[in-house]
Amino acid sequence: MNLSIETVDLGKTYGDVRAVEHLSIQVAEGEIYAFLGLNGAGKTTTIRMLLGMIKPTTGFARVLQTRVRPGSRDPWESVGYLVEVPHSYPELTVYENLEVARRLHPGTPREAVSRMIERMSLVPDADRRAGNLSQGNAQRLGLAKALLHNPKLLFLDEPANGLDPAGIVEIRELLLELAHKQGVTVFMSSHILAEVSRLAQRIAVIHKGHLLQELNIDELERNRRRRLLLRVRDVEAANRALVAAGQPAEILQDGTIQLKNAASVEHPDDINCLLVKAGSPPTRLMVEEEDLEQYFLRLVGLNRGMQNE
Amino acid sequence: MNNLSDMLWIELRKAIRSRIPLWTALGSLFMPLGIAFLIFVSKNPEISQKLGLVGAKANLVAYSAIDWPAYLGLFGQIIAAGGFILFILIISWIFGREFADGTLKDMLAVPIQRSSILLAKFIVVAIWSAAMSIVIFIAGLIMGAIIELPGGSAGVILQGSALMAITACLAIGAALPFAFFASVGRGYLLPMGAAVLTLMMTNIVVLAGWGEFFPWAVPGLYAQGKGSLPPVSYWIVLLTCLGGMIATYLWWKFADQNR
Repeated sequence: MNLSIETVDLGKTYGDVRAVEHLSIQVAEGEIYAFLGLNGAGKTTTIRMLLGMIKPTTGFARVLQTRVRPGSRDPWESVGYLVEVPHSYPELTVYENLEVARRLHPGTPREAVSRMIERMSLVPDADRRAGNLSQGNAQRLGLAKALLHNPKLLFLDEPANGLDPAGIVEIRELLLELAHKQGVTVFMSSHILAEVSRLAQRIAVIHKGHLLQELNIDELERNRRRRLLLRVRDVEAANRALVAAGQPAEILQDGTIQLKNAASVEHPDDINCLLVKAGSPPTRLMVEEEDLEQYFLRLVGLNRGMQNE
Repeated sequence: MNNLSDMLWIELRKAIRSRIPLWTALGSLFMPLGIAFLIFVSKNPEISQKLGLVGAKANLVAYSAIDWPAYLGLFGQIIAAGGFILFILIISWIFGREFADGTLKDMLAVPIQRSSILLAKFIVVAIWSAAMSIVIFIAGLIMGAIIELPGGSAGVILQGSALMAITACLAIGAALPFAFFASVGRGYLLPMGAAVLTLMMTNIVVLAGWGEFFPWAVPGLYAQGKGSLPPVSYWIVLLTCLGGMIATYLWWKFADQNR
């Protein structure tokens, strides 16, 4: 497996603040890898270390098989990036800003600028000063600069920032196409799990500078909590019937019966039959699944998870 | 130094499109216009008396610039002090704006040597500062002709031009290290503050008699003494300039860039 990114025990400390600690990850070529965390979790610090903009206090990083060193010219020829807010020169037009980006990547053909303006739907704004662009179009310009030289590896820090829903879908499709058709590796950071789950194959959850969990998208699905909720007229009778049948039930404060075991969640019809036979038919029966935000907040210890759990 | 021409194109384009050169050119015109105004006031006692303190100042300036050689010498000193501040303003904008506007990060992870990026910036600073010096000088010549200063000849003007050119080169050389302050301060404030402090220190150092060994006093002393400085003074300016440029390069290469 060819690795596009590898970090070994990567860490960065600012005085007493440990921005990132013991970060060891591997990102394969052509993979879309998402870095998920709250604001201040260490996502941008990590991206800046991977781009050689800040020196790690511990460990090291390799990008496109090249060890990252401050001020080095390699391996940036094949790397595109958008870090934090997409700043451009406000006095230059969209076209001129892209021309600046082109000249910063020698070998990029002159036509690439016009092509990228079309691809990012910036044609009506091509001659407009970047300082007068809307937030969404400024984001598009930032993405255009990152993509201009056909990089093999893309670092995108919150790529959906400032985009409207149609823009988010458009950029998502563009990134999926780049990864799946052109084999571009995408390393993206976000604090919105629902968004990254639509794009990424693997997700790393970072919190307070620590890697909490690294998981595939199907693992994420499996890890999300599910439960069966029942409402019955006679709670005690229903509970007795469930306990007798070996179903570990819990009675919530509002009288709802909760079952968390996989068999109950996957076969609510069996539970329904059981209760009907016991003379306590459910008046309401519902399988509830923890949503992505709840899962993420539970993981970082900010929320217990589903309501009334 | 590959891609230097591309980096020069980028820096020149940013400067031209910003309209800052126009504002600095207009700003630089204030110096010759101000001097010419003061000389004009001193030549007209009725106006001078009405203006009080300004009139007294005008008489002082007129005393320092009674003819073309003295007038051009005065302009050399203006370049050494006022021009120096103007050059620092240009440096602050060219270097500090990358931090203030958040555009620096787009120059860091690119397949271009930092030395090429920085050299292009220094070259544009030098070209721009030299252009401003020429604007000040030409405006000074026009003003001198308008107020009909005595003692003018082709030789005097040529000598004055050489004095101005060398003073401007020395002032630009002494100003270039302030790129380091713009980089460390990540903006405009630190270099401008450091420039004001440097001018204050220059006065003290000159009064103490060590001016010829203080790089920021050398341009003014050169303009004043019309070149009668020991060779070590020029070397000090050159070394300060190179030291500042190297420090700026090392800072851009090795310092953490969080913006």
